[in-house]
Amino acid sequence: MATLDLNNISKSFGAAKVLHDINLAINDREFVVFVGPSGCGKSTLLRIIAGLEEATGGQIIIDGNDVSRADPVDRGISMVFQSYALYPHLSVFENIAFPLRVQKIADAELKERVGRAAEILQLTDKLQLKPGQLSGGQRQRVAIGRSIVRNPKVFLFDEPLSNLDAALRGDMRVELSQLHSQLNATMVYVTHDQVEAMTMADRIVVLNGGRVEQFGTPMELYHHPATKFVASFIGQPNMNLIPAKVLEAGAGDITVELDGGAKMTLPVESQGGIVGSKVEVGIRPEDVSLADEGLRVGVRVLERLGGASITYGTIGNGTRFCASLPGNAPVQEGKDMTLAVDPAACHVFDANGDVLRRQSAPALVA
Amino acid sequence: MMDRYTKMQIVGIYAAITVFLIFILLPFFEMFMASLRPLEHLFRSPYQFWSSDFSFQAYSDMWVTVPLLGRYILNSIFIAFSVTALTMIFVVPAAYAYARLDFPFKNISLGIFLGVNMFTGAVLLIPLYRVLRTMGLLNTYWAMIIPGVAFLIPTGIWLLRSYLEKIPRELEEAAFVDGATRMYTLRRVVLPLAVPGLIVVGVAVFIGAYAQQFLFAITFNQQRELQPLPAGLYEFIGYQDVTWNQMMAAALVGVLPVMVIFLFLQKYLVAGLTAGAVKE
Repeated sequence: MATLDLNNISKSFGAAKVLHDINLAINDREFVVFVGPSGCGKSTLLRIIAGLEEATGGQIIIDGNDVSRADPVDRGISMVFQSYALYPHLSVFENIAFPLRVQKIADAELKERVGRAAEILQLTDKLQLKPGQLSGGQRQRVAIGRSIVRNPKVFLFDEPLSNLDAALRGDMRVELSQLHSQLNATMVYVTHDQVEAMTMADRIVVLNGGRVEQFGTPMELYHHPATKFVASFIGQPNMNLIPAKVLEAGAGDITVELDGGAKMTLPVESQGGIVGSKVEVGIRPEDVSLADEGLRVGVRVLERLGGASITYGTIGNGTRFCASLPGNAPVQEGKDMTLAVDPAACHVFDANGDVLRRQSAPALVA
Repeated sequence: MMDRYTKMQIVGIYAAITVFLIFILLPFFEMFMASLRPLEHLFRSPYQFWSSDFSFQAYSDMWVTVPLLGRYILNSIFIAFSVTALTMIFVVPAAYAYARLDFPFKNISLGIFLGVNMFTGAVLLIPLYRVLRTMGLLNTYWAMIIPGVAFLIPTGIWLLRSYLEKIPRELEEAAFVDGATRMYTLRRVVLPLAVPGLIVVGVAVFIGAYAQQFLFAITFNQQRELQPLPAGLYEFIGYQDVTWNQMMAAALVGVLPVMVIFLFLQKYLVAGLTAGAVKE
């Protein structure tokens, strides 16, 4: 239905600059998730796209038209708010019909369009109720109904699932993904939950401190994080970051000494002058396995989840290390264990937090 | 909230409430007792709390002593309602603007409104008289309505503004995203949600309008037919004697409508006056 381009969007609140030259090109029918810690500017960016905030600089292009100065309704966007923003005094029917009433759509067509939206969202038997009589998930669906009834070009979601309990959130994730394929619409979704981002997005924008850290598919972000920030933000449990020193740099690999003395040769590209510098080696908890030889880890806390056992411990001089092992892994709290680490699965970040390009990485899943 | 009190504390609290209520209600009670007494009884000594010749006679005699009494009561209600309606017409958009819009001198002008509130009408009676005379409004209903409206607008703005601020901004943003104009949003979203607040402000303004009539009526109006009840009560003061019992009866009858409104709406009033005081 529509492409969405952001050109050099910046935003300041007084002296505080919250967005720095954001450039994004979002494709037609793409589901893009903005993710980042609180205060990273993701909600502000969404509100600028919606037209609720005015950007200090830059352009918003929807379907080739510059809408930077247009009212929300003229941009062809619709928005679902974190608090749902349902009108408590109106019935579900009138809530969904609200955008059509504003446009003074004739009654017959209005009924038909609200009916269709209600059907998609399984709200047909709830139309006469007031929002206060609905459960959280149903309210969420009413809010979505109000946004789809207008057939907008771009759907905007501002943390729509954060008010739901964990089980319902999982269900709604699936429903939203289905809705996306059903409506064939361009969707922009803001969340601070990386699981939502990973499971729903076609592409993810990771924001930090008002800048785009990386824009890519979930698997790109997982296997090829551009920065330490992205690496530690994406993935559950978080990636381990171990301070290390570069001993040697060859063509296509470097040898490092990890905190605690273990030496590893890692297949990453490097530039001259890296020898002797401090780096951080990133190892995902799920990329290790128990072995007879390798990294010695003192297990402090063990969480047995059934399918997996998560251990929290330390290596070397107290660097924290988390490992995700099989559910029946023979490990105990208070004991040491030895882990094998696949050098090809390691990430290396320089002192600025930028990644050293990996030579061999798992094939990307399209 | 913690509300565990010892027995002694509860006794103390109720004792304090009782003293307070007696203080407030005793005049009304005495008014009622006076209205039941025959006139000569009022000056009899020693004071008798009750005697067999008490009756509701004054309640029927008062209509004869002051033939326009009914008219005065209606005038009172008419003036108070007009003041309330006009005030609300000005207060609603103003309060919404103060609650939501950004404009120059917003806080200063709001402060000035509060400052105006500190003056009683009495201080401004002479300038007001001149203004009304210049405009040719003396001895009309307008002379009692316009100053009333002017003095009640600030209170109304302050009360309603704090109520409107409680309505979540996201509701208006959602309406804005869906293409609604400010006026449409105000009409379809904000005002329906603000009904309890509107009732509170409406009642507060009505009570204010009812109470301040006296001053404006005796200074700006000489026409008997237009007089509201508080001014009309003066007619019970005759050349020879003052029919206190009938005056008390008339006053009670006149206060009745306000009391009835208060009783019906007190739930909203208490909720509204404390609105915004605590974070919910």
